[in-house]
Amino acid sequence: MGNMNFQVNLQGIIDLLSNHLYSDPGVFVRELLQNAVDAVTARKRLGHITEGKVAVELFPSSHTISFMDNGIGLTESEIEQFLARIGSTTKKADQDAADDYIGQFGVGLLSCFVISDEIVLITRSALEGDSLEWRGKPDGTYVTNKLKRTVPIGTTVYLKLKPEYEEYAEWYKMYQQLERFGKYLETPIVLTEDKDSRQINDTTPPWRMGKAEAISYIEDSEYEKPMDIIPLKSLIGDTEGIAYILPYSVSLQDEKRHKAYLKRVLLSDKMNNMLPSWAFFVNGIINTNSLRPTASRESFQENDLFYAVRDELGVCIKRYLIELADKDPELFARIVLIHYASLKTMAAEDDELYELFILHLSFETSYGDLKMADILRNHRHIMVTSSFDEFRQVARVAKAQNMMVINGGYVHDLELIRRLPSIDEQVQVSVLDILSFSSRFESLGRSERDEVQPFLDLADRLLAPYQCRSLIKWFEPADIPVLFNINQEVNFFKMMEESEEQANPLFAEVIHVIKDELYEKPYARLCFNYNNPIVRKAIASGDLKLQQNSIELLYTQALLMGNHPLSSEELRLMNESLLQFMNMGLDRNAEVGR
Amino acid sequence: MKNRFQELRRSTWSMPDGKQKLAVLEEMIRVADRYMTEEEAYHARMDYSNAAPECGCPERMLVSFSWCLSKFEKNPGAYSNFYIMWHYKWVLGYVWRMPELSLEQIERIYEDFKEKCIAYGYSLRVYYQKRVSLMLWQGKLAEAADYYKSWRAAKRDSLSDCSACEQNMFGSYHFAINHHKKGLQSLKPILDGKLSCRSIPESTYSEMMMPLLRLGEYDRALETAKKAYRALKGPSYLEEYGTFLQFFTVTDMPKAVKLYEQTIRLGLGSKVGWDRLQYMLSVRIFLKEWSKGKRRKKLAEAETVTLAWLDEEIERLAQAFNRRNGNTFVEDLVREKEKMAARLQAAYGT
Repeated sequence: MGNMNFQVNLQGIIDLLSNHLYSDPGVFVRELLQNAVDAVTARKRLGHITEGKVAVELFPSSHTISFMDNGIGLTESEIEQFLARIGSTTKKADQDAADDYIGQFGVGLLSCFVISDEIVLITRSALEGDSLEWRGKPDGTYVTNKLKRTVPIGTTVYLKLKPEYEEYAEWYKMYQQLERFGKYLETPIVLTEDKDSRQINDTTPPWRMGKAEAISYIEDSEYEKPMDIIPLKSLIGDTEGIAYILPYSVSLQDEKRHKAYLKRVLLSDKMNNMLPSWAFFVNGIINTNSLRPTASRESFQENDLFYAVRDELGVCIKRYLIELADKDPELFARIVLIHYASLKTMAAEDDELYELFILHLSFETSYGDLKMADILRNHRHIMVTSSFDEFRQVARVAKAQNMMVINGGYVHDLELIRRLPSIDEQVQVSVLDILSFSSRFESLGRSERDEVQPFLDLADRLLAPYQCRSLIKWFEPADIPVLFNINQEVNFFKMMEESEEQANPLFAEVIHVIKDELYEKPYARLCFNYNNPIVRKAIASGDLKLQQNSIELLYTQALLMGNHPLSSEELRLMNESLLQFMNMGLDRNAEVGR
Repeated sequence: MKNRFQELRRSTWSMPDGKQKLAVLEEMIRVADRYMTEEEAYHARMDYSNAAPECGCPERMLVSFSWCLSKFEKNPGAYSNFYIMWHYKWVLGYVWRMPELSLEQIERIYEDFKEKCIAYGYSLRVYYQKRVSLMLWQGKLAEAADYYKSWRAAKRDSLSDCSACEQNMFGSYHFAINHHKKGLQSLKPILDGKLSCRSIPESTYSEMMMPLLRLGEYDRALETAKKAYRALKGPSYLEEYGTFLQFFTVTDMPKAVKLYEQTIRLGLGSKVGWDRLQYMLSVRIFLKEWSKGKRRKKLAEAETVTLAWLDEEIERLAQAFNRRNGNTFVEDLVREKEKMAARLQAAYGT
């Protein structure tokens, strides 16, 4: 027995390809346009014609549409081949090779079975004389006939639409689809119904426009006026395009929607990875002649070339910004203002851009939102918090002590601030240690220290169960009686202690090891303000019970003010001391009244 | 307070993986403990267990896991045994990485896991698989080989790692016992794109680079590195970053510098001995090479991370493993890696 071939169920394969490969039934328009344009290109290459043409005609009453081109046409043997070639297309080195065109033709034609139960194709090849008719069905059967009449060179595809897709024979629907996929094609595409005809594609693609023209073009088509246009070009990928800068800020999480064209036919209008991920402040309109599409032709194969092209396009955007900072500082400043989040991401990834942007970027500081240039003008020593919460704890007090503290809690900010010395050696940056923050305040004199020591000892004793230690300093503003600082480790530590109690003996041991050997026990800090009259009075009172209540109330109130969840024990503490004070006030009132 | 809880939860969705995110999740647990039901506190901790390793703090996962496990044991009908066992599986992968835990403790954990697998009707496949790593990285190769056989013979079930991850582990196993060619063969289905999952082939690539260099396949190593480097992101890949740092030290110094700057703080923050040791070892290989030239640039954390400090830190960690394992396997491994690095540097370095 010789070699045998697998028998494949053709109907199954066609069903698979046509109904499961594509995400949108309208892609048949793209495929037919692509086939027509490829045929025209092939015929131009022969030197037979100089002007190609694609004509689409609608026959709504019979739910039929036709696509006609004056391209190279198909010979009888090519027709026989094209279904046989399906699947052999993607591995060819040269996508433009003639036989590949045939294979591509077949795959494209399959997408028509999504919306039609029969494809009729009438063609005459530029290479042979016969006029041919081919009728194919989704079950894989077809007939080929020689026509008696002679048709013009080229191919016409007739589709009778399935009832659920009859809409495609409507003018508005087909116009929309043709425009979507084919508006940048060079070969003229004309849509006709009865006596009405209209050319779809008389526009220059935006990547061939001048800047002003492109801006107004985007404004018309996208209903938003871009801040500027960045030309994109990749030599290795034979790719060009534009990136237009969005006039509003977008978040890193927003879905990117770049438009990608392959040989001027729209591949996808929601391509999210065509530009580097940091470039989320632009939308791209990009045409490539050499990237490879995936089987469904709705995205590109992510091979080395793809990434190389993406990098190259990224460089275009960088270069543009570098030049813009020099040429049009005003526009540059506006872009920074609107797209600081995107630019921060870029600056974090690239040294050159870091130098370019950093002075223009704004940060949240203890003095309010400030540009880095303004921050550096007045401050050589900068502290940065490693979390939003820590910033919140110290911001107000820091300002009152003339300390420049920057909130490093936003994405990238900590990293960006830390790198400041790389552009200015004079600048000192330190990451703020929240637990030692209050020890930077003005210390008390010797005699005052002696005076407050018993009060502090009492506070330490009372607060030890809550992992908190106290100190006293003189700081502004005077209306704040205490500053409570806690770092994240303290929370985690409490969680470890509770888990150790709850866990089974085996894992209690594990937690014990983690707690004792991997982490150091952290204490929160309660810093009394000697500048505050109530604190002074509490210290001076000499009444132990009163002092205890004051400490407990100041502590729990600081927790509440700082949005820290209170444990049941802390809640009890607050209630008791509050009731004590109420009681005292009421007693005095009663005494006065008596 | 339920609102506060939801508000915190929402804020975690847009946060990058890191300590910040864990801090918010910790606050959620505190809120749930104080004001919500035990079930809600349980699920808040399960979320935390999922996030902690991704945020580069696997040791914190042990804390939330322990709490959940005990609640589960007290009331097995109330919670899914699958999810807690799934986390338990991770725990087996972490405990041996901490030299502070004794072999005896680790042994008891493994046995407890095994008993639970049997009790809840799971195959022992995962147990054997985790045993392989446990033995391998103590240098007990014969035991590892036995468990490897049991692993491959045991039935797959829902608790098993996915096929891609397992296939990847077959490769790692062979690399670990210095069968580099066999290892690469095992990885072929992954490289051909036949098997993949959330973390495969990303972690496969980084595992292959050094073996490829050793086998003299320089170009393939470079190509693999390029692919892998693109895919690697986030704080959960410290060991992998170390591998890259070594690799780039040989092949592309500017890239090595960049990677060092991006990851050194992550490394300094790591509490897990094994990961820290592997990473710091790569840093030492990098810094030695870096220090050979005259450099104007000052590296990040230059005050802390000096060669002397690294020597001390690596010695401290290696000794901790020596004491725990009762052998010098890890210390020898360190030495061997450095020798290999020097050899590669001589062969390919510029």
